[in-house]
Amino acid sequence: MSDTAQISARARRALLLAPALIFLAVFFVMPLADNSARSFIGEEGGFTLARYASFLTDRFYLGVIAETVILSAAVTLISVVIAYPVAYVLVRKAGRLSGLIIFLLIAPLLTSIIMRTFGWQVLFARRGLVNQWLVTDLGLLDAPLRWLNTPGLAIAALVHVLVPFAVLSIASVLQGVDRRLEEGALMLGASRFRTFFEVTLPLTMDGIGTGAILVFMIANGSFVTLVLLGGGFQTLPLLIYQQFNTTRDFALASTMSTILLVIALACLWLQLRLVRRQGV
Amino acid sequence: MRLTDWALWLFTIAFFVFMILPIAVVVVISFTSAGYAAFPIPGWSFKWFARIFEYQPFIDSLWVSLELAVVATVASCLLGIPAALYLSRSQSGWATAITTFLLSPLSMPMIVIGFASLFFLSWMGFGISFLALAIVHTVICLPYVIRTVTAVYRAVPPAYEEAAMILGASRFTTFREVTLPLIRPGIAAGCLFSFLTSFDNLPVSYFFGSAQTNTLPVVMLAYMEHQFDPSIAALSTLQLALAVVALVVADRLYGIEKMTVAT
Repeated sequence: MSDTAQISARARRALLLAPALIFLAVFFVMPLADNSARSFIGEEGGFTLARYASFLTDRFYLGVIAETVILSAAVTLISVVIAYPVAYVLVRKAGRLSGLIIFLLIAPLLTSIIMRTFGWQVLFARRGLVNQWLVTDLGLLDAPLRWLNTPGLAIAALVHVLVPFAVLSIASVLQGVDRRLEEGALMLGASRFRTFFEVTLPLTMDGIGTGAILVFMIANGSFVTLVLLGGGFQTLPLLIYQQFNTTRDFALASTMSTILLVIALACLWLQLRLVRRQGV
Repeated sequence: MRLTDWALWLFTIAFFVFMILPIAVVVVISFTSAGYAAFPIPGWSFKWFARIFEYQPFIDSLWVSLELAVVATVASCLLGIPAALYLSRSQSGWATAITTFLLSPLSMPMIVIGFASLFFLSWMGFGISFLALAIVHTVICLPYVIRTVTAVYRAVPPAYEEAAMILGASRFTTFREVTLPLIRPGIAAGCLFSFLTSFDNLPVSYFFGSAQTNTLPVVMLAYMEHQFDPSIAALSTLQLALAVVALVVADRLYGIEKMTVAT
């Protein structure tokens, strides 16, 4: 190929890539950069770190950051613990039922947050199905419990949204585990439990990691569930939502979204490291 | 079966009850004859589906959402397919970096994208308009198209295209007759994810509220804050039916396994 032909081939390929790159540079990177930049510009113009200084020394806001991270971590932990046995059944035990299990995992992903929240509100209403079971049918309680606006229900609803992602991540790694390694351990006299905890579980750590980061990342930015189901949480996304709606302190909202963005970028970085190690 | 197997299956069944119950309850309530949202329902009727069509904001916003999802999906294809074609045939390190960048909107908190875009697009002069909303929706839909098309095209050996070219087909003919049919499942999957993502989006659309830009989820959220009646359930059921139909059609046309390569 002559030099000019090579250059034109390169130019043509660049043309394929350019529209998407330019579009995201202008309408994705620039808005985020602009938003973060505004949190560094003072009331009278000029660079300032004052907002971050006051934000990161304020007890209330530090509490908000901690609560955001702790809530996401709790949702992640619960999701992974629930997801592992289900992924195990899907890959190892389900056989012909695996198609049905995958369908049942994907179907909830097609429903809107509003639909699921509506379902939770109906099920856990004061005279809802759950209270009726507990009080009338099973007689476990004397009086109906108040479920709505409790932290537990909000966490359950978040887990409901995110746990399918964890199941799918773990299942895909579990699928790739070489079963001869487990058979080897069993033949050498390890019990089934020991084989699971010393062979299978360590081999699927990457799947757990990928799933956990994915769940954490989405949990970290979610606010619709918390707005509708309450629970008394004060997280960064909720506060941004409130600032936008009522208080209208946009500089503060920019500061908070920058902090949220930094957490998201850290997760993305972790995710890339993990993916690279897997050599995918 | 062993005891542990029993325990595993019991756990899995409990898990799916947890997953399906809140959704099934909403589907049942959408057919209630009662004037309130409660389960179990006293009788069956279609009146809440009729109610959807009587409440004008639902209909108006449904159109906005449909148009928006179509525009965002078409734009994502126009921008995303060429980029995916290039990136799947490139092995270099910076191609990986660019792929990561093009997929990164999926990893950023939606609320931050929405909030930041509102100010930036207003500053650019787009204001709160359908066009502005379509741009932000394209940002969040584009990664789905790129991801699915890249995954499918990577699995296609270059030999097919090389053979066509050696046999004298022009670049354009090769693309139209060989490449395009081969990557069609990826495009279909990308369009499906993109459409459903846009149609369902609340955290971004929320910031762009106006008479011309209120999408269905935004209107539903506002409705729920004042009233708690089964029309929301009926709308959700319709939406779910739409998604399931789209999924089944895509499955019949291209096979769900081929499409889930990418996910």
